[in-house]
Amino acid sequence: MTLLGWIPFLEPMNWLQSLWYVLLVPLAFGISASYKAMRVVDMRNYWRQVGMMTGQIVVVIAALAVGLILFVTLVLPRA
Amino acid sequence: MLAWILPGLGHIAMGQRRRGLMMMFGILFLFAFGILIGGLDVVDMKRDRLWFLAQACNGPLAFLIDFLNQSLLKTADSATQARLTSLGNINATGTLYIALGGLMNFILILDALGGPDRGKEHPGRRSTDA
Repeated sequence: MTLLGWIPFLEPMNWLQSLWYVLLVPLAFGISASYKAMRVVDMRNYWRQVGMMTGQIVVVIAALAVGLILFVTLVLPRA
Repeated sequence: MLAWILPGLGHIAMGQRRRGLMMMFGILFLFAFGILIGGLDVVDMKRDRLWFLAQACNGPLAFLIDFLNQSLLKTADSATQARLTSLGNINATGTLYIALGGLMNFILILDALGGPDRGKEHPGRRSTDA
């Protein structure tokens, strides 16, 4: 299926199959936006807090992924 | 109850308009993005029952998408079903988006159940809410 023929909200983004991990960024943003709306004390800091939390989630998950890759490719073969 | 009908509505009804609108934005963002990624197929009460328990916390919207899935997608011919059904990682990611949105809304419902006095825990919370 070509991108031009894609109908949003009806047809799935199956063409994004190999890049599914990119979808972590909007997921982290959505979670941060709803969580910070409840937790932040001063709403004037809302968007800054959302940006910080989104960045923290993405960086930590990426670090975990790198750690797991190193563990599987370097440590496990020697065990 | 209002918070379940439309995410954030409970807080708006308590006078926390800005906070409620931001909650609504966050939950509806996750919901809309989940449908955008996986199509109608990601909300399925019959095939993904456990996931639907979390998705149902999004409110009537989740039931509407499930109704559309069962009545339009599941009854369509096989060629249409193949075109509109999400596969593998994309199906899992779309399902996860809506389930996480539902779980986040469950937390927001609990926060709304605390009532307007919940702000006393953070005295500054009310001043910038409206």
